[in-house]
Formats: sequence, C-alpha cells, structure tokens
Amino acid sequence: MRVLVVEDEPRLAANVAQALREGAGYAVDIAPDGEQAQFYLEAGEAHAYDLVLLDLMLPRAGGLEVLRQHRAAGGRTPVLVLSARDEKESVIELLNAGADDYVAKPFDLGELLARAKALIRRGKGQGSPVLRVADLEVRTVERSAWRGGKLLALAPMEYRVLEYLAHRPGAVVSKTELLEHLYDFNWEKFSNVIEVYISGLRRKLDEPFSRKLIHTLRGQGYVLRDEEASA
Amino acid sequence: MKRRRSLRFRLLAGVLASQLLLAAGLVWAGIAFTRRQLERAFDAGLQGRLMSVAALVRYPESGSGLLFDTSLLPPPRRRHPALYQVRSQAGTVIANTFPPSVVLPEGAPGARNPYWNFRVHGAPYRGLQAVGLPVMDSEEASSAAAAKLDVYYAASTEDMQEEAAAAGFAIGATSLGLLLATLLLAAWIMRRELAPLRTLASDAAAISPRNWRLEAAPAQSQSAELQALTEALQRMLARLHESHQQQRAFLADAAHHLKTPVAVVKSTLQALLQRPRERAEYVEGAQAALHGVERLAQLLQRMLRLARLEQEMESESAAPPLAELAASCRAAMERVQPLARARNVALRGNGLDRGYALRADADDLELVWVNLLENAVLYSPAGSAVEIACQGAGASVQITVRDQGPGIPADEAPHVFERFRRGSASPSGGFGLGLAIARAIVQAYGGVIAVVPQPQPGATLRVVLPLATAT
Repeated sequence: MRVLVVEDEPRLAANVAQALREGAGYAVDIAPDGEQAQFYLEAGEAHAYDLVLLDLMLPRAGGLEVLRQHRAAGGRTPVLVLSARDEKESVIELLNAGADDYVAKPFDLGELLARAKALIRRGKGQGSPVLRVADLEVRTVERSAWRGGKLLALAPMEYRVLEYLAHRPGAVVSKTELLEHLYDFNWEKFSNVIEVYISGLRRKLDEPFSRKLIHTLRGQGYVLRDEEASA
Repeated sequence: MKRRRSLRFRLLAGVLASQLLLAAGLVWAGIAFTRRQLERAFDAGLQGRLMSVAALVRYPESGSGLLFDTSLLPPPRRRHPALYQVRSQAGTVIANTFPPSVVLPEGAPGARNPYWNFRVHGAPYRGLQAVGLPVMDSEEASSAAAAKLDVYYAASTEDMQEEAAAAGFAIGATSLGLLLATLLLAAWIMRRELAPLRTLASDAAAISPRNWRLEAAPAQSQSAELQALTEALQRMLARLHESHQQQRAFLADAAHHLKTPVAVVKSTLQALLQRPRERAEYVEGAQAALHGVERLAQLLQRMLRLARLEQEMESESAAPPLAELAASCRAAMERVQPLARARNVALRGNGLDRGYALRADADDLELVWVNLLENAVLYSPAGSAVEIACQGAGASVQITVRDQGPGIPADEAPHVFERFRRGSASPSGGFGLGLAIARAIVQAYGGVIAVVPQPQPGATLRVVLPLATAT
C-alpha cells in the first residue's frame, strides 16, 4: 500500500511516515505543501495512492482546496484529514467536500494507523481486517498470513504483495500496479523485484498445498483467486 | 438588610418635602392674613357699636344729669353678651354692664392703644375705650353746657376666633388636598418617565457573552439624558465586545497553533515506542522530542509576549525610559548573526553610527529588530545580504530592513503583520508571530510599521518611530 502524507511540519510528516512504514508496512510519499500535493495527485500517480493523509493548514494551496480539486478531477482515493481545527462546522465541511475521515491534532499514532488501515480496506471493498481467500487468511492488524491454520513465514515485501492482492481477490493486478502501490515515487528502479517476491510467495503459499491461489496471466499480471471455487 | 431606596422614592420624598414647605407657608400666611382682616373688621364694628351706645345717652326732659335710653338697645346676646359702661366725665356712671371683676383702663388713652383684651368667665373679650365723647342729644344741646362722656365697650372675640379657625381649616384642607393631588401626579409622571430606565436596566441585564446587543427602544430616545446613557452604554459594549472578540480570537488561534507542535512531540514519542529499538535510536528520539518541547515552549513564550503587548496597547502605561536606537539595532544584529551565518546570509548595518534617543524599553526595541532581521534572513537565499538602516526624519526616525529574498506579493502585504500569518513562500520553522510581535511593540510606542511597496526583488519593511523630545 502507498500513502501520500501532505503535511508542512517536516517533523510531524516524518513521524507519521515512519509510523506508516514501520507500523503498517506502507510506502509513503511526503508533500510539504499544497502545490506539491496537487502535483503528486495529478501527475498520473493519483491511482497509485491507496490513501491520502491531508493536513488542512498548508502553504501555497490549502488542504481543503487540494481535496476539492482531487475529487473534482474524479479522484477516488480515500482521504484522511489531519487538522488542528476540530470545530463541528469544519468537520462537516470537510466530510461534505469529500474527505472520508478526520483526526484532530494532536492525534494518537495508533489511532491514525488503525483509521488508515480501515480506510484502505473499505476503499478496496473489504469489511473485515482479516482477508480470506479459500483457506488463506491475511490478518492485516498483526500483518501475518495463515494457510490451513499454519502461519506462513513471509518476508516483509512478500507479505505486502500478498496483502495488496488479497484486498482485491479475483482482480488482475499488473506488475506496474504492484510496483506503484508498494514503493514510493522511486518505484521504477525496483521493476525486477516483483517476480522475485511472487515466486517467493508461490513457494511458501502454494507449493505445500494442492490448491493454487496465485495465478499469472501472461502479459496482464497476477491474480489471487480460488480457481476451484469459482469454476 | 437595609433596602436600597429607589430613585422614584427619593424624588417623591423631595417633592413631598418641598410641597409641604410650600403648603405650610401658604397656610400660615393665609391664616395670618385672614385673622388680621377679621380683627380689623371686629375693631371697626367695636367702634361703631361704641358710638351707638354713646348715642343712647340723653338729657332728661326734666332735671339735670344724663339718662341712658335702654329702649333702643337690641336684646343682649345670651352667651357672652356685649359689655359697656358709659360715664360722664364728672365720674357718674350712667350705664354699666361690666362685671365688677373687669378692671377698666383709666385715664385718656392718649398714645396708648384704646383697645385692650381681657377675659370674662374664661371667654375672650376685646374692649374699646373712648374718652370725651359729646352727648349726641341735639335737642338740648344748646340748653346746657355740653357734657362729655367716657365710654367703654367690649364684645366677645370668640366668634371671630371661630371664624379665623374655620378659615384656617378651609385653607389647610384645601392645601392638603392639592398636596395629595400634586403628589399623585408627580408619582405618576415619575413612574412614566422612569419606566424606560427600568427597560434599559433589564435590557442591560440581558447582555452576556452571547448577546452583545443593547437596543435603544423608541421610548428611550424620548429623553435626552436616557439617550445619552444608552449611547454611552452601547459604545462601552462595543469596546468590550471588540476586546472580548480579540481575546477569543487570540485564544482560538493560540490553541490551534499549539496543536501542531504538540502533535510533533506526541507522534515522535509514539513512533519511538512503536517497536523495540536500539539504544541510539531511543537517544535520537528523546532528543527529537526534547527539541519539539523546546519549540513548544518557545511558541508559548512568544504567544504570551504578544498577548501581553496587545493588552498593554489598550492600557496607557507610564512614559517608558529613554533608549538608544542604534545600540538596540547593533545588539539585534549580534543576536541574529548565528542564524545568518548558518544560512550564509550577510548582515549589514547602515546609519548605525548616529545616536537616536527614543522613549521605549530597550529590550522591546531590540526584539523588534531581531524579529525583522530573523524574518528577512529566513527568506533570504544563501549568499545574499540583509541590511538594517536608520535615518532621522524630523521628529521621527525611520528604520528599514531590506532583504534580497522573493519579496512580498502585493496582496499579502497588508496581512504579513497578522499573528500566525505565514507567507505563501514561507520557509518552515517560523511560527508566524515575529512580525505580529514587532507590530504590537512598534504601535505601543506610537510608531508605524509597513511593507514598502517596491518593484525590485526582495522585501523592505519600514518602521517609523517618534524621537524622544528633549526635556
């Protein structure tokens, strides 16, 4: 998962980014002002973000403006607003402008992480924090994967690939999409690593079991699905 | 508990007292005048009746002496009858109804008052003495030597006194009636005229931090005094409201701007505790948190400073001591020097060799220049210079701080001195309070601070302060 943090206070942005990276295994980009946020969201990368954390008081372009513009341009990325303003009117205005959730400063990092996970989950059509495909269980809270009641010993990047696929079971996910969503804006230099993680996942997830869950569609990408169940 | 008397009660008491005084005077004067008139009429009557008693004395048809013809006398009153005594000057009493107990004045009255007062059986009497009256029997006047008479006549004054009392009672009763009527009228008028005061009081009582409006009801505009009071109250309310709004805005601003630095510290510590870490990481995290707390403390200090300055501006304080301008500029340059050096910005002074005396606190002045210089340095690109220049201009001195940064857009120029305002090209690290504090200080000392509009790049801020007048 990849998150855009729009926050002008560099220390706060760094702390939030650290929490998202360490606590949820997300890739994080930081935009220190409204204009840069708009640039990130417009430069063909909007679909690459699974969540935007948006501060309201920003230099150059205000958070509300960034939010309105993103929604006006058809952006569907969940937006979690961080602000020092917590008057009822401004919360209503924010939600009506297209924000999905709101945390008031000074927020709790744990709560922020939980809300971020929930927004990402719901943005992908999932309700439960435990994602299930056949006998595979991906527990997003503790970031672990289980199959047939056994814990899979996944490398962090393997887990992140699996988590992304498990959020949208049955959907074909291209290699580019995986790269975009698992790395920050330097993703292009990692273009060869996806195959490595997929093969690693296959070895740990599918080989010990009779039913294969990860499938490769040549020239299109990967899909996580239970072929026998859908057949 | 002693009840506070109402204004109406006091006014009524005043009216009552003055009315009573007036009524008492009028009653006293009326009674005295009536009494005098009655006495005069009584005395005139007494004289007339004395003459008619004297006229009853005749010469007898035969013999000598005088005789008193009682046949023509009206029947005497049963109660307190009139008393008379007629005697010839030879001393012969011709007629007498005075009881022996009454002592008649003897001898000619001369300069003495011919009237005298006495009592008979407790009844008040007034008598008149006439000496040497001729006998008015004309028939015999020529026949004998005309005899002279001494006549005393007295009548009871009881009737007259009753009449005087009745008149006094009538005057008193009328006065009392009028007094009551005017008092009621006064009470009614006061009630009517003071009603707007009660309305005003209840309106004023309804004023609260939620409701600052004091409406001038139409009735209140009737009287000039109440209108003046209402207007004064409204002006006072407007000032209070403004000050209240300022405080609220400041509090809201302060709370709002404290949240981000608090969030920094909180998230630093929470991120640190997110998972087990190396010792070095903990130390680094603790230092980051400490730095965050220090910034928070710095922000709080500046906020309090600004709040204090804004409050001081409203209350006139004693004349500040004399301060030397150029010295404060040099001190400020020294304080900003480390920051300037770190950002590779040169600091230059211009015109700081001349002394200018100002009425200001030296620390306050220094803070103004520090804030302006820091602001300029933060916006300056590396390798550029910031200049602070002083120039006397008549009774004031002008201080300019010029940088070679991006400048201030024209639409932002009026707002740069607002608290927590940060420019669109704002470098991170500022609180947005420096210029607000500078303005508050400059204004407190009767000066002006403004952005100098200019076409060339860079920003110039100008402060004009009045020079101390020589004493």
